[in-house]
Amino acid sequence: MKKFYLAFAMLIGLTMNSCKHDDWFYRDSKTTITDEQLWNDPNLIVSLLANYYNRLPSLHGVFNTGGMTEIDDAMWSGTRDQNGRNDFQYGNDYGRYWDYGLIRDLNLSLENINALGGKLTPAQKSLFVAEMRFIRAFVYFEMVKRMGGVPLVTKQLIYDFSGDPTPLQVPRAKESEVYDFIYKELEEIKADLAANNGIATRANRYTALSLESRAMLYAASIAKYNSLMAAPISTSGGEVGIPASMATDYYNKSLTASKEVIAGPYALYNTNPDKGANFYDMLNKKPVSEVIFAKDFALGTKVHRFTYDNIIKSMTEDNEASSAISPSLSLVESFDYLDGSRGTLKDKDANGNYITYTNPADIFANKDGRLFGTVIYPGTTFKNNPVRMQAGVAVYTNGSYQLTTSTVLGGNYTDGQVWTGFDGPKDDAVDVSNTGFYLRKMVSDAPAASTRGTSAVNWWPWFRLGEIYLNAAEAAFELGRPEALGYVNTVRARAGFPANSLSALTNNVIRNERRVELAFEDHRYFDLKRWRIAHLVWDGTETDPNAVVMGLYSYRVVRPGHPDNGKYIYARIRPTRFRRARMFRMANYYSSIAQDVLDNNPKIVRNPFH
Amino acid sequence: MKTKFLTIIAAASLFLASCSKYDNFDAPELTLSGKVVYQGKALGVRNNGPQLELWQDGYPLKSPIYVYMNQDGSFSSKLFAGQYKLTRRPDAPWLQQSTDTIRVNLTENTTIDVPVTPYFTITNETFTKSGSNINASFVVNKVVQTANLELVRLYLGKSVLTDQVLRDVRVDGNVSSLVFGAQTSLSADIPDNLKNLDFIYARIGVKATVASEYVYSPVQKIALK
Repeated sequence: MKKFYLAFAMLIGLTMNSCKHDDWFYRDSKTTITDEQLWNDPNLIVSLLANYYNRLPSLHGVFNTGGMTEIDDAMWSGTRDQNGRNDFQYGNDYGRYWDYGLIRDLNLSLENINALGGKLTPAQKSLFVAEMRFIRAFVYFEMVKRMGGVPLVTKQLIYDFSGDPTPLQVPRAKESEVYDFIYKELEEIKADLAANNGIATRANRYTALSLESRAMLYAASIAKYNSLMAAPISTSGGEVGIPASMATDYYNKSLTASKEVIAGPYALYNTNPDKGANFYDMLNKKPVSEVIFAKDFALGTKVHRFTYDNIIKSMTEDNEASSAISPSLSLVESFDYLDGSRGTLKDKDANGNYITYTNPADIFANKDGRLFGTVIYPGTTFKNNPVRMQAGVAVYTNGSYQLTTSTVLGGNYTDGQVWTGFDGPKDDAVDVSNTGFYLRKMVSDAPAASTRGTSAVNWWPWFRLGEIYLNAAEAAFELGRPEALGYVNTVRARAGFPANSLSALTNNVIRNERRVELAFEDHRYFDLKRWRIAHLVWDGTETDPNAVVMGLYSYRVVRPGHPDNGKYIYARIRPTRFRRARMFRMANYYSSIAQDVLDNNPKIVRNPFH
Repeated sequence: MKTKFLTIIAAASLFLASCSKYDNFDAPELTLSGKVVYQGKALGVRNNGPQLELWQDGYPLKSPIYVYMNQDGSFSSKLFAGQYKLTRRPDAPWLQQSTDTIRVNLTENTTIDVPVTPYFTITNETFTKSGSNINASFVVNKVVQTANLELVRLYLGKSVLTDQVLRDVRVDGNVSSLVFGAQTSLSADIPDNLKNLDFIYARIGVKATVASEYVYSPVQKIALK
């Protein structure tokens, strides 16, 4: 036995000898990717870029159900624990965004790819660099539109352990300087991005131009409309506020970029003769003809639950929450009639008597096709099935209508017909519409899309041609150019209006067009901000139908022997769950800067009203 | 074996006892109260509107303690004893005074007046009912000479909380013809939904262009019957 141990020990000694070969210690790690490996392998770089694209910021975007219910387009009708969205005022930090972590990651990548990426071809390297600079410009745009001028950091900030942190304390740039930086970056990289043309999920030449179109329009309207306020919001150093004299230049830059995109390979999606369904398909069917830049989703790898959150009550395929977004009456009424008249719904006549309609959907007849494509209203269909919306019955007694509702959804009235439909609406109820409307736009109609097991894969549109047309229209209108009218009419023609439906433009027409075309696409909050009318539209007045999310309930008339029996009437209501009118204060035009940022960098100037 | 159990129980109870030591802080007991004043007179503000901030040095995490105001300009806050710094937030109907800190040494219940400089004040206000109208008569005084008047408004409401947000009637006064320091009047029809109440409330609000909030007169209760 002893011999055996001896032999064993000698064997071990022998094997240890082989450790003298140094390369054993210098093998490539199987679990760590080095900087040299990363920046010389296009596949690895693309997968890193996927991470950056996935971190592109938005406020109410990328299927943020909750955020979409915090403005005047909708209220929250999901679980009660989130009813705060119907009972709040925009806080001082609402919309605060200060993501220097992402900026630092991008700056680090840009420095490393230039220093280490020797094996990449020049074309590969310039494309990757351009994409990262595009993402950085996108992030700076998101910061400037919420915070005003922010520190422009374009290289890594590295502490030298000298005990003096002042070189790391970058002061805020002027608001206009940040917009100028975005413009300059995009102009420099747009040619390099042309290699991605035709790809909707990575930045290409037209994506850069679209961002330019949007950012320059924001800068221009802040320059113009901030200066028109009774007391412009500004700081003495220009961190907030852009001089009015810069407006024309910014509008020109925006219009030039928009025109380049419009002249490009894209076209408004217009294949379905049913204009309402066409508008819904435009986002739901992922057409690359209109959408310039999107965040895509795929079954099995990356999905979202927007459809689970918002599918109409009676068509849920899962067992829990649904129907969280209840679109508002003011949004529905902002869709014009096809004859060009204002979209106010005709629920009562001049004498204050209810107008009766034969079918539930008749009150919405002859409306802008985008209404069908955006919201679900009584009498319409979803997934080719009729929706079952009816708030209750209106019983005619003693000379007036008594509006009654069933305690359960889908209950029958004493006459054996529907009392309250399976889809409600029902006041003060959970997971069913509280306003009389459901969301259709971006709610997928794919099989099992509303289950949590499968989920939805329709994509999120960052930029699409419809917006670019409206950007061009607004910039051209502000510059007094005649082509503005044509851009708006093109967008309206796609929605079912006759050709050249408008003969003159006003600010209100353009603004209303943006509201209906781009509803729920994360535009309205920022649009009202840059036009400096948010504090007027959302003035917190409890009696103002624009600040309050109102609803429209449909009732079946019970009046035996009268010609109106079995017809439908509509009542405007204020949902009980909607507790407080939207209130946008002057302090909300620029979010407050976090206290720890102010503590760490004494050069940071506070925003006005904070 | 028995001693072993005893030791465990003793140790456990020790542990439990020590927990309570850290768990239960005393609640703050001292009250800091007061009101915002201009020339000794309290200023009316919007309910849930302007705020004050309290800060305390000497702790690693700095964050403000918000102090909310009642609509008559009064406030109160429950605090621990200590040194505080009181600042006036700029989102208000008075001049920004962000560098002008009031030091408060809180050792007992304290009442302080917080002086502010409003852009405008309202004085000599009277409200009378005549027929189906409420007539208001008041004087708007300019305090900050560089300020411009944006809005003068008469509000009627059915609750004591009546302001720019909570109101039933709002009537705008003519700003261009208003003379500072002279008697001005405004009148509002009592709408149908308020007509049959026993009493309603009326209030005047004034806003400077550079301010985000209104300064208000005290709320006046008016008997309708």
